[in-house]
Parts: sequence; structure tokens; C-alpha cells
Amino acid sequence: MPLQLLAAMAPIVFLLRKRVVIAAPLTLLTLAVATALVALAPDAASSQILSLQLTITPLGRLAIVALLVILAAIVLDVWLDEPAYNFFPTALGVGAVVVAVLLLTTPLATYSILLVGLLLPVGSFTFQIHRNRSVEAAIRHFAFVSLGGTIGLAALALAESLPRDQPQSTFVLLVVVLYVAFALKLAVIPFHTHAALLAAEAPATALALFFGVLTPMTVIAFAQILMQSALLPSIVQLTKVQDLLLGIGGLSAIGGALLATGATDLRRLVVCSVISDLGMALVGVGTFSGPGIVGGIAIALATGASATQQLLAAGTLERRADGGPPRAARAPMAAAVFVAGGIGLIGAPPVVAFPGRFYVELMAYSFATWLGAALVIATVLLLIAQLRVAFGLFSEGLPSWRPERRPVAGVVGGLIFAALLAGGIAPDAFLRPIAAFAEEFLRALRPL
Amino acid sequence: MVLLAAVALTTLIASGATRLRFTALAFFAVSIAANVIAAGATTAAQAAVLAVAGLAASGILFVAARDGEYGEDPGWRLWVATLIAVVATPAAFASFRTITADVPELALFPSDNATVVVQVAAFWLLSSGTAILVTARGAVRTSLGALLMLTGVQLLMRYAPGPQLELTIAVAWVEVVVALTGAFLIVNERAVRE
Repeated sequence: MPLQLLAAMAPIVFLLRKRVVIAAPLTLLTLAVATALVALAPDAASSQILSLQLTITPLGRLAIVALLVILAAIVLDVWLDEPAYNFFPTALGVGAVVVAVLLLTTPLATYSILLVGLLLPVGSFTFQIHRNRSVEAAIRHFAFVSLGGTIGLAALALAESLPRDQPQSTFVLLVVVLYVAFALKLAVIPFHTHAALLAAEAPATALALFFGVLTPMTVIAFAQILMQSALLPSIVQLTKVQDLLLGIGGLSAIGGALLATGATDLRRLVVCSVISDLGMALVGVGTFSGPGIVGGIAIALATGASATQQLLAAGTLERRADGGPPRAARAPMAAAVFVAGGIGLIGAPPVVAFPGRFYVELMAYSFATWLGAALVIATVLLLIAQLRVAFGLFSEGLPSWRPERRPVAGVVGGLIFAALLAGGIAPDAFLRPIAAFAEEFLRALRPL
Repeated sequence: MVLLAAVALTTLIASGATRLRFTALAFFAVSIAANVIAAGATTAAQAAVLAVAGLAASGILFVAARDGEYGEDPGWRLWVATLIAVVATPAAFASFRTITADVPELALFPSDNATVVVQVAAFWLLSSGTAILVTARGAVRTSLGALLMLTGVQLLMRYAPGPQLELTIAVAWVEVVVALTGAFLIVNERAVRE
């Protein structure tokens, strides 16, 4: 029902998109109703579209509610602070994709819908095309997502179609291809070059849509597809494959953090921090251990929320700077929220990102000292990068703590941070559904 | 085997075309040849979905061209992409083919649904698409590469268990979304250039 609602409302809002006063509230209302429908649905409730089954799992419910709320926060910011009428139907389309990807139980169908979702924001990436390189950035994103998407889809189709008596090496190779395909889509290092151009040229709200909503969904979809595709038992038998998965994740964690320390603007800092966190999340999933999987998925979700908070604040700070360097004096509330978002991206206590990061680092140490040390160094580098930018924002002092006029990003970011704090104070509600998924994942990994 | 040659030839024509409208027509020919190759493993409903998806994707690119002149000269990229595809196809086939004890019959003329022929066609399309995507500079060749790869995926999916029609529809939607996104970027890229 929520899927049908979102999918049906997207074209309606597309037709009404130029009447922002109608399109924006309608989008928010649709997202609110869809979120409520998912939140109130009973566990394991299932339905069918043609013969494709959709089932609500505890993780599916948690992730859908979290991602639709983040989506609503971005829509609110676009409506009140940075009107872009094409954004509203895109947001509903992305909402429908989030619901479909997290509820579908057929891996090939899940992957196809995921690919559609990752292409939807392309329209939002381009703006004022004669003044910037946003078209080039969008084309590069299109190329990377198409390449990663189709390679992964082919690997999955082959894995499904090959008889089980084929050589083990074929399935192992398919898992590696699938992993590289997801790395391309997530823009983790070394497949991150298009993300740098996107960070520089695309609007902050479009970046929030991609890095705040779609990348966390992709990480969860990766774990879900691996589990449903019955490829997992092939991986366990070869430790070298696991080393490769952990190596790419670790490289991205530390590489993203290094790039963040050299970031010259706010948006690039956020994007590099997200790349680092996604690397850490992939390490978590790649450990194939309960705490690692719980930590990896928790990091992905918390990173999405914090990245949205920082990107919306960065957009406001840049607009108020009028071409000069962003300063807290022009938008104190947005600056405060930006700094608070950094706490979430670093995974410092007491925000909800902390337990996830703690679990992953712990499991990384249990695998290899170098891997654990790399993740800790990545966290320290992110801390330095965030502090450097925070000091830069407040370098000219703050004449007054009075909030700026129309502090939309400040209020929205404040609400996101409050939710992350609440999650950190009572982490059980957040981690328990992920733990249920991890248990299922481990059962698929080592079937009796 | 003749159909396999048709897939290879139409792919090369699509890759070598300098006009977008010609590329779109050549892609439609690729789509038809690929679907005929796997006709034995395709139901009537699936064939209808695949035909509509191929037609829609090429139609979208055809309209996006706006006139017969617009396109992207592949230049050296055509040769590099072809070379990569020629090397990658046997490598992919050797690594991922279905290994059976039976020796497949490779008929010259009739439409042949033997797994080996369908897999070779799929790997050729995937390799060509990857090579075109990797060497692409603009939206035209990026769209073409992605669409060729999706055509290859559709071939591989014929042998996957599960709800075939639903999966065909899902990937057909991806094909249409890729074509729409490509068309959007082609129009924007042209606006920037002009």
C-alpha cells in the first residue's frame, strides 16, 4: 500500500510541480502517510505485486521509516529554503524505490529497482547548466551507476541461472564482481572520482538526496541481496575473498578520511566523510559477524542522517555567504547544526552512530590489527577534518547567537540531531531490528 | 550462428554511428537480434515486453536527437571499445559459462536457443557495453553502452529461475529509465555546447 501510494503520487505531483504551494505539502503529506503505514504494519506482513513478494521485516521497517523521514526533511528544506520544483516528484519516486527495495524478496527485482532509484536524482543534479559543470557531473554519475548497476545485475542473473554443480571459483568470482558493482554505485575509493565532481557542482539538496537517502539504502540492499541470492556460502570457503572485501572497505575508510582532511569546501568535506563512513560500513558487513553486520548497517543509516543534516546546513551557509567563504556570523544556527552533524559523522558518543562504529572497529581488530588500526586512524582523521572546518566557520567570531532569518536548515538539522541523540540514549530500539537481520544473514551464511 | 553474427554486427554499427538517430535505430536492431537469439526461451508475453522496451528506448533516443545531424563521433574510441570487447568476451565466457558434459549443437541458420549461443551473445553485449561506457566521453555513448549491457542482462535472465515475466518487466523499466535519463542528459549537454 505505501509503495503504491508513493508510486501513484509521483506522476500527480510531477503534473502539479510548478505550483510549489500545492506540490510541496502534497509531497510531505504523502511521505507522512507512507511512513505511518509502514510503521504501523504488523511484523512479517506481506503482499504481492504480480508474483513478486513484498515482506515487512524489522530492519525493513526501521530503515524505511528512517529514510522516509530524512527524505521529508530534505523536501521541507527545498520547499521553504531553496525552491526547486522538479525535486518533489523525484523525492516521491525515490520514496517508492526505498520502500520497494527494502520490502522485495526477489534479489533480481530488488537490484533492478535499486538501479532505477540511483538514476532518479540525475535530474536534480543539473541546475544553471551554463554557469557550472553540473551536466558533466551528472553524466559521470550516470556512467558510474549504469556501469556498476548493469555489471551487478549481470552477475546476479548469472549466479541465479548457473546450476549449483558449477566450479566454486565461478561463484566466488561472481561475488567479487557483485561487490565491485556495489562499490561503483556507492562511490567508495577507488571508484570515487565522480563523487568529487558531484560535490563541487550539484546542489546541496540533491547531494543530500543521494548521500543521505540512496547510499544508506544501497548498503542495506547489498547485505540483503547477498543474503537472498544464496551466494554467501561460496564466500565463506575462501578467506582471500573476504580479505579483498575488507581491504576495499578499509581503503575507502582511510582514503575518504584523508581526502576529508584536505577538503576545501563544506560539501566536499561531507561527501568525503560519507565515503569514509561507507568504507567502514562495508568493512562491518565484510566481517560476516553479527556485531560487524549490526555496526555496518547502523553506520550507514546514521551516516545518512548526519550527512543530510550537514549538507542542508552547508547549502544555507553557502547561499548566505554571497560568494565569499561561509561564515557562522551569517547563519549561526546553520553553522551550529553543521558542527553537530560532524559529531554524527565521526560517530562520537552520545549519538546513535557511536555503537555501530564501536562494533565495527572491535570486529576489525579481531580480524587483523592493521584493519582495526586503519579504522581508528580514519576516525581520528575525520575528527581533524571536521574540527578544521568548524574552526574556519567560526574564525571571524560570532557577533550574536541570534538565529538567522528563516533558519530552515538549522531547525531541520536540529531535529535530525535530536533524533540521533535520542537513538544514542536508547540504542536498543535502533539496534534490535538490525540484530534480527544479522541473525538471518548469519544463518544464510552457514546453512545447516 | 548467423544471429550471433547479426548481434555482433549491429552492435558494431551502433557503436560506430556518428549520428544519434542512427545509433538509436542500430540499437533497436541489436535488441531485435538479441531477442530472436533467445526466442526459444522466451514466452509470448516476455517477447512483447522486450519488444516494447527496445522500441521505447530507441524511440526516446531518436526523439532526443531533435534532428538528424546531432551525434557523437566515436573516433579512436570505437577501435579501443571493439578491441576491449573482443578480448573480454572470450574471457568472460571462459570464466562464467555453464559447464556441461554435452557438446552443444551450433546450427548455422535456424534460431538457436542453446544456452551457449545465448551466453556468448550476452557476454558480447556486456563486454561491448562495458567497453563503450568506460571509453565514453559524453551522454550519447554512455546511454548506448548502458542500453547494450541491459540487453545482455535480459539474455542472461532467461535462464534464471523465478518469476520470469516480472523480472523481464523490471529490467525493461530499467532500460526505459536509462534511456530517459540519457535523453535528459543529451538534451542538456547539447544546450551547454550550443
